[in-house]
Amino acid sequence: MEALRNALDFSDFPRTDLYVVAVAALFLLVFPLFPHSSFAMATMIQFLMFSIYGMGWNTIGGYGGQVDLGKAQYVGIGAYTTAVMLVRWDIPFWISMPIGMAVAVCWSFVLGYPLFRLRGHYFAIATIATSLVLKDLFEVWDFVGAARGLEISPIHYDPPDFLRLIFKEDIYYYYIILGFFFLGILFVNGFRKSRLGYQLRAIKDNEDVAASLGINVHWAKIKTYAIATAFVSLVGSFHACYIKNIEPEDTMSLHISILIALMAMLGGAGSLWGPIIGAAVLIPLKSYLKEWLGAHAGLIGIDLVMYGTIIMLVSAVEPRGIWGLMERIRGRRRG
Amino acid sequence: MALLKVERLVKDFDGLRANDHISFQVETGELVGIIGPNGAGKTTLFNCISGHYPVTSGRIIFDGKDITGLKAFEVARMGLARTFQVYAASGDLTVLENIMVGCFLRTRSPRSARIRAKEIARLLYLEEVSDSLVSELPVALQKRVSLGTALGTEPKLLLLDEVAAGLNPAEIDEMMTLIQRIHHNFDITVLLIEHVMKLVMNISQRVIVLDSGRKIAEGDPRSIAHDPNVIRAYLGERYARFLPKGESSGP
Amino acid sequence: MDIILSSLMAAMLIGMVLSLVALGLNIIFGVMDIVNFAHGEFLMIGMYTGLLTAQATGMDPLLTLPVAGCVGFLLGLLCYGAFVRFLLRGPMLAQLLGTFGLMVFLRNLALLLFGSEDRAIHHGLLVGKSFELGFGVIVPATKLAAALLSVFAFGSVWLLMNRTRTGKGLLATALNAQGARYMGIPTERMNALAWGIGVGSVTVAGALLVNFWSVNPYVGLLFTMIAFTIVALGGFGSVPGAFFAGLIVGLITEIPGFWDFLTFTLNLDWMSRVPMTSFKYTWVYLAYFVIMVVRPRGLFGWKL
Repeated sequence: MEALRNALDFSDFPRTDLYVVAVAALFLLVFPLFPHSSFAMATMIQFLMFSIYGMGWNTIGGYGGQVDLGKAQYVGIGAYTTAVMLVRWDIPFWISMPIGMAVAVCWSFVLGYPLFRLRGHYFAIATIATSLVLKDLFEVWDFVGAARGLEISPIHYDPPDFLRLIFKEDIYYYYIILGFFFLGILFVNGFRKSRLGYQLRAIKDNEDVAASLGINVHWAKIKTYAIATAFVSLVGSFHACYIKNIEPEDTMSLHISILIALMAMLGGAGSLWGPIIGAAVLIPLKSYLKEWLGAHAGLIGIDLVMYGTIIMLVSAVEPRGIWGLMERIRGRRRG
Repeated sequence: MALLKVERLVKDFDGLRANDHISFQVETGELVGIIGPNGAGKTTLFNCISGHYPVTSGRIIFDGKDITGLKAFEVARMGLARTFQVYAASGDLTVLENIMVGCFLRTRSPRSARIRAKEIARLLYLEEVSDSLVSELPVALQKRVSLGTALGTEPKLLLLDEVAAGLNPAEIDEMMTLIQRIHHNFDITVLLIEHVMKLVMNISQRVIVLDSGRKIAEGDPRSIAHDPNVIRAYLGERYARFLPKGESSGP
Repeated sequence: MDIILSSLMAAMLIGMVLSLVALGLNIIFGVMDIVNFAHGEFLMIGMYTGLLTAQATGMDPLLTLPVAGCVGFLLGLLCYGAFVRFLLRGPMLAQLLGTFGLMVFLRNLALLLFGSEDRAIHHGLLVGKSFELGFGVIVPATKLAAALLSVFAFGSVWLLMNRTRTGKGLLATALNAQGARYMGIPTERMNALAWGIGVGSVTVAGALLVNFWSVNPYVGLLFTMIAFTIVALGGFGSVPGAFFAGLIVGLITEIPGFWDFLTFTLNLDWMSRVPMTSFKYTWVYLAYFVIMVVRPRGLFGWKL
């Protein structure tokens, strides 16, 4: 109960911030009701998806300070569980998604135990390694369609299908992911004020001191990693129903892992709003860049060149991301 | 029964013997100081006791249980807390949040942790800075915060590692009062490492002296101050000849 | 029999080139504790440099090595001076982020400039020729030359590090930057030099590699991972370790070859159905993971 009250309590943010948040929330709620292009809608949905990915990553990567570059494997687990269950056994989203989460979380415990014996760079590289291995495995596993992937054909589902999450119009997808988005925010808000949240921040500060305060550092990291995994796998499941066509190369590649970590780091790892800000900047940038420039065959890759430049600038100037910059300007610090 | 018993503790680092068969005891309720020249192995000793370093040989018995080889967090959970000498706080925790982390050992509820932490902050005169970031505070206050954090874990035994380092005389006096208050009011046994003689000699009931990894003397502060072995350890052999005749022993 | 010997030979040869690839990473890490995610991208740049120089000037590809080396050296200095040295001031997250960004930047810059198709070297003194080493083992001349030149380059760098004054300066900075500064060693310059030599070695390796491995903008990542595995196995900071570890990792990449041999000798049907070739590099990633968990210090490492 206390956890719930904590989750709903945003009072440690300054008034102005909360006004901005309220306005933004309102905007998000009414956006689809105004005339918009399908491209804009798709971008918004992407924004919401990546915000949630980023928020999840942020728990272990931001608050915990363990830079995880292998989250894509859990996107895959979530996506594939839902897709396989739907295609083979016609199991609705609301059952396959929790199952996918459970599988992903179990796997994260299995990996987490050895992974968290490592720190810093070594940890980061190990996460890349594990994600690549899993992706390679999926690419040859026929049960999940190997490299061709799986396709969910919506031909049979014309009226909006809330059970299986198959819709013809994007607006339904939008509101569902928006719901998850708000839930995600509440969860992270509660998390950062919970016992685990505090312990994690102490760990990030100085692991030896944290241990001397009775914190089982290894276990705390593993638990948080599992939470991050749950977030990521949830959106992965959604992704399967939304895109309806998944293959290892676009759900489980390093590229996805990079993007997820990037959203959070750019916006401000270790803060509640950071990942959302990061997604709000990067997703539209990415989409519109691709639209305008990428279409010219000679300029493929320029969007990522800009990404790379942005990352380099951020890391050299303000590693705490946009949120960190804002806090520096305001002369205060809040997480 | 002794709260802490260290039996023939040996700690080697790849050929360097940092702790050489050290044995001593601390009774419940005592306030014991450990002194010795730099490099004597004092912090290493603490690290072994608190579980941060694995022990080469010997035993550590705390509260009747053998804690040799236990991990740091397990030792802390049993009621043995410590502060650190060098603590580079880079993070974004405020004073209150820091202390709360300590309190979270004994409670799961953030609200109780906060209440308890506020209490500790008040007792250590940290109320005014409770919402400041630890990394932005002056050294003296930082030391008090680490004291508060350790207190949050409700320890039976508190290991203090050079809490007076870097403090000016007024701050040292303050620290002395605080330690004594903690020792008395909270009923916590205290074992402290110190270089600042004023502090350790004034508040310790008993003093242990280490030099080059070995225990060379143990006793009440006054006799320690006159012990020729101790003087020799600090000032070197050359000054031993300034001791009154008949007091220097050995070659 | 000849399958296994060929595989072994191939493993050894590629291992030697891989050692050189890993050497640069080790130097940079040893001297300033920064882990360079963009390492493989520098290799890729070396490969393109070798390829394009050979094509543009009609030179034999093997003669492009000095060019690649110089390009790499200058590039390393540039990266350090214009970017990396700002990262050193920040927290580790910044360094990770930073070299990461560099990786994304270089990879896609290459994509932009060169397009995504594979390119390979088609003519040169040794292309298409091979040596017969007995026991039915045939070795492509390019691979053999590349391996030998790698060993030569490796040896030169090792000599540089251990026998010259500059090299000792680098080692001193690696062990204790602060102390080195007190000794009058210009650590800033040492850092820049480490980057110069580090990137230079890997571009040379790239110019060697491109003789028998086609290049596209994406090869970087694979080699970054391979380099990390080698360095982890050999021990972060150990130069001889990198050499032996390179050979071992070379063996790992040849696992499909060994598997074929086993399939052949044991004649078990199920074995031939396992798509081992797709897993060629998966074993490398797995190896990294296993090594770090089982023996993080590696075989000879002194820095963790």
